[in-house]
Amino acid sequence: MSHNTDTIMKEFSIIDVSGDIGISASGATLGELFANAGAALYDLMTDVSSVRTVVSRKFSTSADTCDGLLVCFLNELIYLFETEELVGSRIKVMSLDESECSLKADVHGERFDPERHERRLLVKAATYHKLRMEQREGLWYAEVIFDI
Amino acid sequence: MATELKRIDANRLLVPKGYLTGMRTDGMIFVDEVLQRDLEKGSIEQVANVATLPGIVGNSMAMPDVHQGYGFPIGGVAAFDLNEGVISPGGVGYDINCGVRLIRSNLTKPDVMPKMRELVESLYTSIPSGVGSKGRIRLGERDREHILLKGARWAVEQGYGERADLEHCESGGCMDGADPSGISAKAYERGKAQQGTLGSGNHFVEVQYVDEIFDEAAAGVLGVFPNQITVMIHTGSRGFGHQVCTDFLEVMGRAVEKYGITLPDRELACAPFSSSESRAYFAAMKASANYAWANRQCLTHWTREIFYSLFRMTPREAGMTLVYDVAHNIAKVEEHRVNGVDRKLVVHRKGCTRAFPPNHPELPVRYRPIGQPVLIPGDMGRASYVLLGTHKAMNETFGSTCHGAGRLLSRHQAIRQAKGRAIWREMEDKNVLVRAAGRETLAEEMPEAYKNVSNVVDVVHNAGISKKVARLRPLGVIKG
Repeated sequence: MSHNTDTIMKEFSIIDVSGDIGISASGATLGELFANAGAALYDLMTDVSSVRTVVSRKFSTSADTCDGLLVCFLNELIYLFETEELVGSRIKVMSLDESECSLKADVHGERFDPERHERRLLVKAATYHKLRMEQREGLWYAEVIFDI
Repeated sequence: MATELKRIDANRLLVPKGYLTGMRTDGMIFVDEVLQRDLEKGSIEQVANVATLPGIVGNSMAMPDVHQGYGFPIGGVAAFDLNEGVISPGGVGYDINCGVRLIRSNLTKPDVMPKMRELVESLYTSIPSGVGSKGRIRLGERDREHILLKGARWAVEQGYGERADLEHCESGGCMDGADPSGISAKAYERGKAQQGTLGSGNHFVEVQYVDEIFDEAAAGVLGVFPNQITVMIHTGSRGFGHQVCTDFLEVMGRAVEKYGITLPDRELACAPFSSSESRAYFAAMKASANYAWANRQCLTHWTREIFYSLFRMTPREAGMTLVYDVAHNIAKVEEHRVNGVDRKLVVHRKGCTRAFPPNHPELPVRYRPIGQPVLIPGDMGRASYVLLGTHKAMNETFGSTCHGAGRLLSRHQAIRQAKGRAIWREMEDKNVLVRAAGRETLAEEMPEAYKNVSNVVDVVHNAGISKKVARLRPLGVIKG
């Protein structure tokens, strides 16, 4: 695994909630925070180290608030998994407009293959439940709970 | 004003209006002292939060299997006035019309035991389940809309099951008023390959036997007898319903501002029931509910096919008719008597089952003398129950009762506790064969992760909002 800022690193952890599961992620920039939150999501779904970089998929999304944008971004990744079976090994946030609450991102990865990719959780939605996003001492932090 | 929880009787706990600022009505949680020990503070707060919503009628209630959800608690029921009140996607849940159905048979435990392993394997290979699994059905353009308009009837028209199945589904397996035009392209896309799939997590197909009958007369009407083999199916509207919920949480988030509604929690996002946003959500919710009924109907058909071929029986010999099918994540407009006045209300049931009394016009003719069958799945190691709706439920809980065992451990706690253990072997030692697609599914779903369903059912039975008919024990389970 390389260590570019747009590369999936273990800059996240799992949060425990009864019934469902959450992630806590951080990043030096909002873009990095989003990419790491996306990596955490993929880690809930499968073993990311087994995912090769074969295809790339661009998408854009927007929301009314910045933390809402994180929820929409993660829901977009879930949507791409469910419809195109795309699991990401690398997420690059190409641009993120804080005032417009919109972003463009690029996911690199491959089609989920149950023969090679471990089946973990079927994550069905990112929620606003106890959603947190804040900047502390120069780092961005977020917590998101998923419905599974 | 009282601010502390107050025990009303052995099975009811009052959350007084003063518990939280802004509550318009009391909260009522159906728990005994034993289950109260597992009651999370967060669940109580959510019951109180729901009581702050505009136009709520009666109490904000929760069932003994309550646990924290998003916005509304899971195990919650709340009714709202059609003019003053709201509809909220959070009061229905992400998995719209997640529900349970029970199929009876003429087979008994000794008939199937010699072939149990083969039966579980066949179910596991025939019913798509788990992360990344694909459905056996590909929906054409026309089918996509027809499913949403017709629900289980669409499935029956395609040859999945029999017309008689429809009579034994809540709402006949189809809610009127679904509007396919209000569904996003994304929801269609997610729903395309997922019709006829089980999903994962707590969804299952379970082969069971009838272990105890509590009400022989009612069991007779339901066609249920001791040692009989039954099959329970638990699933919902899959990615389709989730996308509809996700889409409308955004819509409702904006509606909250537009209509000046103050909310204690963003996941309670809602709009006045009479608004265009609500009309659009309700029509999309109904479409999702219909998608789920079609889904359970397809799974029923494949389950029957496996039984027919494995036990070399004709459909008539096997007698695998549908006992009933209930929705436990849904909102419906229903008529209820409130303080002596008949009113139409929008009743939200989230992790909560409708439990209509005898003689209710919505029940199939056959079940009118006994009341609506209520199906309560437990964890994969212990038991499930068949109950009946009662007049008391109609008077007290808008005709509602519990929906399952309710989680006790978080998924992570369960995985931690299961570390180093072979859950499948532990289950086999208890004579339950299990197959799951996900590596950690069995750990997350192990019996200790849930409250004891028998305790939950005892509370609703003793409170009089349901009546016990039969207990079912698992023999074989497939999970996602």
